Amino acid sequence: MRTDRSSSPPQPCSRRAFLNSAGRNLGVVALGYLLQRDGLLPAASRPAGRAEDPLTAKIPHHAPTAKSVIWLFMEGGPSHIDLFDPKPELDRLAGQVMPESFGRVTSAMGTEGNPLMPSTRKWRQYGDSGTWISDLYPSLPHHVDELAVIRSCWADHLNHVNAVWQMNTGSTLAGRPAMGSWITYGLGSANQDLPTFVVLADDRPVNGGANNWSAGFLPATYQGTAFRQQGPPILHLSPPGTIGEKQQSSKLSFLTELDQLYAADKYNDEIAARVRSYELAFRMQTAAPEAVDLSKESEATKTLYGMDDELSAKLGSNCLLARRLVERGVRFVEVYCGSGSGWDAHTKLDVNHEKMCAISDRPIAGLLSDLKARGLLDQTLVVWGGEFGRTPFTQNEMGRDHNPWGFTMWMTGGGVKGGQVVGTTDAIGLRAIDRPCHVHDIHATVLHLLGLNHTNLTYLHNGRAERPTINAGAVIRDLI
Amino acid sequence: MTGRKSSLIKAGILLGSLLLLPRIPSASPSEDPFTSDQRGYWAFQKVIGPEVPAARQEHWIRNAIDAFVLARLEAEGISVSPPADRITLLRRATFDLIGLPPTPEEVTAFLRDDSPRAFQKLIDRLLGSPHHGERWARHWLDVARYAESGGFKLDLTRPNAWRYRDYVIRALNQDKPYDEFIREQIAGDEFRPDDPEARIATAFNRHYPDETQISILLRRQEILNDITDTVGAAFLGLTVGCAQCHDHKYDPILQADYYRLQAFFANIRSDDEIALWSDEQVREHGQKQAAWKEATGSIRDEIESILAPVRKTNFETQVKKFPKDVQTAFLKPDPERTTIERWLWHKEQWRLNPDEHRLANMLKGESRERYEELKAALEEHDDLYVPDPPAGTGIREMGTDPPPTRVLKGGVVGAELEEVPPGFPSILQPGPALIKPSPGNKSSGRRTALAHWLASRENPLTARVMVNRIWAHHFGSGIVATPSDFGMMGERPTHPELLDWLAAEFVRSGWSIKRIHRLIMESNTYQQASTYRADADSADPLNALRWRFAPRRLEAEVIRDTSLAVAGLLDREAGGPGVFPDLPQNAPVPAGGWEVSEDRSDHHRRSIYVFVRRNSQYPMLQVFDMPDTLSSCSRRTISTTAPQALALLNSKLTLAWAQAFAGRVIRLAGEDVYAQIDNAYRLAYSRGPDAKAKDLALTFFHRHREIIAERASRDEELALPQPMPEGVSPIDGATLVDLCHMLMTSSEFIYLN
Repeated sequence: MRTDRSSSPPQPCSRRAFLNSAGRNLGVVALGYLLQRDGLLPAASRPAGRAEDPLTAKIPHHAPTAKSVIWLFMEGGPSHIDLFDPKPELDRLAGQVMPESFGRVTSAMGTEGNPLMPSTRKWRQYGDSGTWISDLYPSLPHHVDELAVIRSCWADHLNHVNAVWQMNTGSTLAGRPAMGSWITYGLGSANQDLPTFVVLADDRPVNGGANNWSAGFLPATYQGTAFRQQGPPILHLSPPGTIGEKQQSSKLSFLTELDQLYAADKYNDEIAARVRSYELAFRMQTAAPEAVDLSKESEATKTLYGMDDELSAKLGSNCLLARRLVERGVRFVEVYCGSGSGWDAHTKLDVNHEKMCAISDRPIAGLLSDLKARGLLDQTLVVWGGEFGRTPFTQNEMGRDHNPWGFTMWMTGGGVKGGQVVGTTDAIGLRAIDRPCHVHDIHATVLHLLGLNHTNLTYLHNGRAERPTINAGAVIRDLI
Repeated sequence: MTGRKSSLIKAGILLGSLLLLPRIPSASPSEDPFTSDQRGYWAFQKVIGPEVPAARQEHWIRNAIDAFVLARLEAEGISVSPPADRITLLRRATFDLIGLPPTPEEVTAFLRDDSPRAFQKLIDRLLGSPHHGERWARHWLDVARYAESGGFKLDLTRPNAWRYRDYVIRALNQDKPYDEFIREQIAGDEFRPDDPEARIATAFNRHYPDETQISILLRRQEILNDITDTVGAAFLGLTVGCAQCHDHKYDPILQADYYRLQAFFANIRSDDEIALWSDEQVREHGQKQAAWKEATGSIRDEIESILAPVRKTNFETQVKKFPKDVQTAFLKPDPERTTIERWLWHKEQWRLNPDEHRLANMLKGESRERYEELKAALEEHDDLYVPDPPAGTGIREMGTDPPPTRVLKGGVVGAELEEVPPGFPSILQPGPALIKPSPGNKSSGRRTALAHWLASRENPLTARVMVNRIWAHHFGSGIVATPSDFGMMGERPTHPELLDWLAAEFVRSGWSIKRIHRLIMESNTYQQASTYRADADSADPLNALRWRFAPRRLEAEVIRDTSLAVAGLLDREAGGPGVFPDLPQNAPVPAGGWEVSEDRSDHHRRSIYVFVRRNSQYPMLQVFDMPDTLSSCSRRTISTTAPQALALLNSKLTLAWAQAFAGRVIRLAGEDVYAQIDNAYRLAYSRGPDAKAKDLALTFFHRHREIIAERASRDEELALPQPMPEGVSPIDGATLVDLCHMLMTSSEFIYLN
């Protein structure tokens, strides 16, 4: 059982050992280096400390096929019926009330008695796999034989907030750790100069807010970092303008000396960890702005991601940023498209989806091409999906209501068997009927690809060995 | 945990899920659902005050605590640590009891007092301080998952939730007996329906996270689950929540027990309109308001005539959004509604019958214009207006006929099994609880029965759990290291007899929390130095046997409050609505809002008064592990992270604290750098710098001064002391700011020894 109870026996701490212990696993003692460079601290010996670091890279349960995840979260609920799951039966039943044979549901807005509405989209089969994709996504079909389209997803909640929470944490209630946190807890960090779990939101706040990337009951070290959209990506990344660079180094050097003096006559693992946290902070000051700096990317790359088009520029730059982050060892990058329920097409679905697809088509296709070209797709799992899909019955003027009973997601890269469709919904796309995949199954599969067994990844909390999939979930074997 | 043990546990879970189908004691009364091991488990045995053991080094024993601790240490061959030095002791006690550092004057006074009772006097002073409640209430608020908003998407403000926070502060300052504290929080409305204090206390069960959704029956169940889990954890130290879907996998808690406990709360609803004034005050208020009412009568009538149709339309539209059965319930006359239907009706009032502000937003065109005119006309009479009487928030019942509580198969709403009456965990007391509705009361009396049982001296858990919580906050870890889990998966007590002795003493003293504080702090165990000792450490690396006082990081609130105090900024005003300090620059405005307090002194109030927005906690507190308030928290995480470093190092907030700190130092010490360093150390660490520290600080000052001088020569802006006294060189001033800043960021500042 993995728990975070540290039990390594502490040892007394000499001044030198204390300083050294702070630099364990870092490759270089960056702070020490910088301080030496600035002539503020005498040269110290090589780091060889022993204080436990919760972000140390850990050995997975089994051999992973993916090292990182990019989760493309289409927030608000994209319509599977208009994107990936064509339903000719809806043409036949158009305008009728849903026949009783499909079973009773209670929809979010009480629309279950409304007439059924066929899709207006043009559909085609693509690639060797013959996977159907509608005209809403013109660029994505270039990658169709790499996609594993799961048409039989289902979730537990009708409301956005709860469903978004569930897609991120497994639970429809707030308070459980996000998948990114579980993964960080299970695998540690591959690049300690950057946060291990990064969230890239759109212009609007994500429904349900920070609970979606919270570490829940796991230690706070594992929580996601939502990069800010403007200015430095991390809060307090650099000091106020009244503090210069050299001045900052000088202050930090004094701080280290104060802490050394304080720790000289006591052993305290925590204080070593504290010095380490200052070093990480210091290195982040350089690493994070470098990671988010897209200025060195070529125009061709930016065009590939759709950054030349005003509509898709934002998501394009976030997708490009996601690639830069996984390249630098970030484990889990969540990219929101339409944060704040952008895909929530209760009225005029076509208008909404044409816009959302214009925003997302080129950036996503570009991301897949770029990852592939750089040899990153093999080790990067890309997941596409919303918190639920949309209903076959209509709402308002040509809109659709929320549908957690059946919807589509897709995965590619990171060891996923592409060029296939998994599962089916019923004839009108209301419910998953064949090989239904619950959110927990999706989570179990993502963890599996990363080398983690969802039933063995546990953390003792309030008397219970908690798992990322709570009490359920099974790996979707067809995908592997 | 070892791999072997973990796989055994996994096997247990698997087997359990296959074999342990729901066992309901009523189904087969002859068969004991519990094993003899479960029946014999230590935490379920009655507390019998054990005898105080003998130890060889009798001179070390100041009270019974020392005897228990020493006996164990001697048995293991570990020696005790020498007493901490007096400054350390003073800081330890002061942070511990009031959450603030001692002032330099308090340091001097304590060092001068060479009477043998000096430390006892200090404890008395601190326990008598109004700041004591502010410090210890925070611990209880963690357990009560206290927040001032509902969470979920809207994170709506609960305008009077703070009254509960102040209630807890008052209760602890008054040393309210713990049994009374329990009774008020569980059933204050039943015990003393006319006492606002007792009714505000019931907000303990009002702090559940909540949201607005159409599936309200599910919501009701989630609220009841939250209350059941929280009560079980807080008062009993049991993870009853694990029995929501099935019998507890480890502890002798049946699934039926979960719902028996829940049944005590089946009849409650929130009450956000608790009257706080006496009848006479209300009458007086009515008289004062009469003039305004008369002057505005016709205006208000016309406003009502504009709003009435919108109210009607809104009602009709909203009702249609609910499932058919709920619609029927809403359209019935009130007396015909069942209790649950009354709950639904009350819960959805915000949607069905919104307040004037929300109704007015629905107005359009001419009626909107007319409404605005009328509001303006109304404002002209503001000089006569008297605000409505204040209200409290808590819970109440919906009558004397509670709805049935049924066991839910797998915890799923809609999968109802058999009905269960209110009852306690059957391992402790099988059979239904005896419920006696108090005559004339509009309440079922169920919670009175629960309160009496929880607050009973016979209850084996209540006193143990509470003394352990107190111990845990003094020492950084409990005698039972899992304060809200006394079950099989929790830790075993390191000193079971000591725990029982304290529990017995707690009850004997009339449940006096302050009595336990005194006992603990007067012990030699508490007063040991925190110095590391390799010999003892190798024998007991976790310090389970208490061979020293374990150093630890201060909590989020204490770090912020101490910084404000040292900077001379702290506003010591007590009580009242939550305050809203500035958020960091460019921080998103949280859902539910964050209207920054206009009064700057409010930005410097103690952290316990900072508004607790469930979804967006105040960043400086959140970064240092303030709990998430989504469920009861008995033991905070203590993390050490880069964002903490960034917040202390780079935020404008901490720099502003350092600027004020430097300003204060200059005020006290003048321009002499030696005197400045001396004063800064005394304020930050309660001690003057020794030779080494002085040397370090001076070296830094001179080195750093050159860097600042360079900046100044380039005309770059400097962070100066606040206020900046005349005649002080800006270069010296800015150098001192940075020195002060690093003292406030240093480990000595944020660790307790």
